[in-house]
Amino acid sequence: MSRWSRSAAGMLAIALCMIALQAQAPSKSITVDYRYFRGLATMDGNWAALKAASDGKVYVGLACHGCNGPLVYYDSASNKMVDVGDLARLTGEDGLGVGPQSKIHAKFGEGKDGRIYFATHGGWWFDYARFATQEGYPGSHYMAYDPKSGKVQDFGIGPRFEGMNTGAYDPKFNRIYGLTHPRGHFVYYDVATGAKVDKGRINNWDSICRTLGIDDQGNVYGSFGAGRIFQYDPRTDAIRELDARLPIRAKGRSLGRDYDKSETAWRVVVWDGETKRFYGVEESASTLFSFDPAAPSGSQVKTLGQMCIPGFAERRDVPYATLSLALGHDRKLYYAAAGAEFDYGGSAGVAASHLMTYDLRSEKIEDLGEMRLSDGRPVLGTNAADTGPDGTIYFVGAVGVTDDPSDPGHGGTIQGTPFRLALFLFHPRAD
Amino acid sequence: MRYRELVITASLIAVATACLGQRERSYDNVVVTQTRIDARDLGYAPEDVIPDGESGVTSLAIAPKGDLYGATSGTRSHLFVLSPRHGYVQPLGVVPHATSITNAIAIADSGDVYLGTSPDGHILKYTPSEADTQQIQIGKPLRVADLGQPVTGERIFALTIDRNANILYGLTAPNAHFFSYSIADAKFHDFGVVAEKIPFGEKFEKSKMMSRMLVVDQDGMVFASGEDGAFFRFNPKVQKLEKLGIHAPAVPGREPWTRVDAFLLDPSGVIYGGTSDGYLFRLDPATLTVTNLGKPLNQYRIDGLVRTPDGRLYGVGGTEEEMARLFSYDPHSGAYNVLGFIDVNRRPYYTWQAYVIGALACGADGTVYIGEDERISKLYLFYP
Repeated sequence: MSRWSRSAAGMLAIALCMIALQAQAPSKSITVDYRYFRGLATMDGNWAALKAASDGKVYVGLACHGCNGPLVYYDSASNKMVDVGDLARLTGEDGLGVGPQSKIHAKFGEGKDGRIYFATHGGWWFDYARFATQEGYPGSHYMAYDPKSGKVQDFGIGPRFEGMNTGAYDPKFNRIYGLTHPRGHFVYYDVATGAKVDKGRINNWDSICRTLGIDDQGNVYGSFGAGRIFQYDPRTDAIRELDARLPIRAKGRSLGRDYDKSETAWRVVVWDGETKRFYGVEESASTLFSFDPAAPSGSQVKTLGQMCIPGFAERRDVPYATLSLALGHDRKLYYAAAGAEFDYGGSAGVAASHLMTYDLRSEKIEDLGEMRLSDGRPVLGTNAADTGPDGTIYFVGAVGVTDDPSDPGHGGTIQGTPFRLALFLFHPRAD
Repeated sequence: MRYRELVITASLIAVATACLGQRERSYDNVVVTQTRIDARDLGYAPEDVIPDGESGVTSLAIAPKGDLYGATSGTRSHLFVLSPRHGYVQPLGVVPHATSITNAIAIADSGDVYLGTSPDGHILKYTPSEADTQQIQIGKPLRVADLGQPVTGERIFALTIDRNANILYGLTAPNAHFFSYSIADAKFHDFGVVAEKIPFGEKFEKSKMMSRMLVVDQDGMVFASGEDGAFFRFNPKVQKLEKLGIHAPAVPGREPWTRVDAFLLDPSGVIYGGTSDGYLFRLDPATLTVTNLGKPLNQYRIDGLVRTPDGRLYGVGGTEEEMARLFSYDPHSGAYNVLGFIDVNRRPYYTWQAYVIGALACGADGTVYIGEDERISKLYLFYP
């Protein structure tokens, strides 16, 4: 078979796959709007880095393994996507021949000054063979983007050689918090004083929790160990390990995913200022829980249900929980559940995500169905969510593509299907 | 060509997946072989464990009868014991007025355990009793006898013992005093310092340079390193501390910031050591010659060094900002073997990797004990 015919056969297979995905008649589906990150078609992932700010701009950190990831924002008022710049240039490391600033891998935060705070992360780690070497990753930078001036301020490297695996910004104490990768330290940057503080190790590299939750008092929470929760109090500058336990699934039944992925932590949490609780999804079976830090010991965590796609609930192979949880203005939790184990190029299969909701008032879980674009293409997975000031629920994830000559390239393939990243918009009221 | 593409693609997938913070099977290739290493919680999990933030293992020593004693650093310092017969770690209590004990456990032939504390700089004596019949009580004070403070205002930086003479030797910080304590006479003696000045450097560099350990040779001579990486020797016969004309190996120009991290007395009579730059060396106390044996790792520090019964040396390298690796050295062939990261993967039960190592010790049966020095720390057992 000639190179041309092999290529044609490959394209045909991809096209058939896309057609098949589009042609599937789901029993139920919802339509989501989408925006591409134009000019950035080769970006290969996004994890947690999504913030719908109060001024209507939606900030996204895109990943590029082996290269520099960009900071972008979508201006919902003008319907424009803006590329602020790649992180190596913004950190002044461009051309140094060091490990690239490949992504923002954690949540952004909005300060009282209107700035958007975040920290950067590395891409490839080479089994840590290059850790702390000349050509290795130099370390995560604490940064702020000012929407008024359009400029980024670099506060410098925080943890040397380490990336910011997980992060959160607290406007009350004006601090960027983080959990480092690979060494799993709890760190923070105090914007007012410029202090960079390392409070020491919290967890092992392969099971660092992916979301730090901050309550309205500025206390920071994360999970560690086998379903445990820690609290950091900025008033005492101390970490306290709580008695609370997350509803993680029992171990020992399979070497399968448990070997490759942690099943011991919460995957994502959101704070609800009304009930003064966190709501979250743990990573082993997508179990939804609430966590009330003020409740008496022993009753802080409650199991509320399971947010995976119905049918997976009792199965061992429930797809790994995503980071896509947001609390809507309608008092519903919105969660994009993966249809197959989803991790962009490392995904196990091609399947449509479902949009799941949990109504905090009725305490009911509902499957709204497959997430599809207006042209019928399914959302192949997401790993970030946030709620805009107008109630729009935003997600960032992957969608299958055929080549677009006006914006060529793709971020990789999922089981042979080329994908690129997109910002997805869901309007609860319009649905 | 096609095979090569496949290999590259497979490698990229493996690397890309690993970057997501999840363990790939390829990672097993860069860590110590999993049938040769295990870990212990510092206590009886989940409740009776030395708390996180107090569990950094910074001292390990083997008692004459084979028990391993360890001390931790953090907001409090704990003493623990591991009997090889039982194999678990038993916390013994909180060391009074101590937040750290750094390479400062010395055990006499009698079995008495001597502790050099920081920050108050006292020498404490713990007399073991039937530890394994006692219930663990995390937080209870360790019952010790306070033998006093060798040098006023100084903390204990390192401690060792000459078991034949029943004399303790130590270094203090910040001013690098060398002292002795005669167990029989219950008397301290300050013999002066091994470093007069803080080496020229950046403003954040505020430490006088001295070795993190001491070693007693077969003639009862005590060796330390001091300023400019110079070796110092204490001669008990003439009760004199002298600066020798030999130095720990260093890249020329780096001598002022060089110290010996670890010492080890070999049964042959020579002393092995490792430096802050990560060099292994051999010091012959008879000829006072130093041989640079090279660097086992491209990392700084030799966090600990032990000799196993087969004559091999095992050590760990890496600073507090790096990821520690275990290596071995065969004195006969001169060959190094890099054994990998100190990681224990016992999924689905537990998995943990040590990034910072505070102390090493070798049991009589050849088990290498590796003490982790982090906010959450464990004791590792390596079976060569």
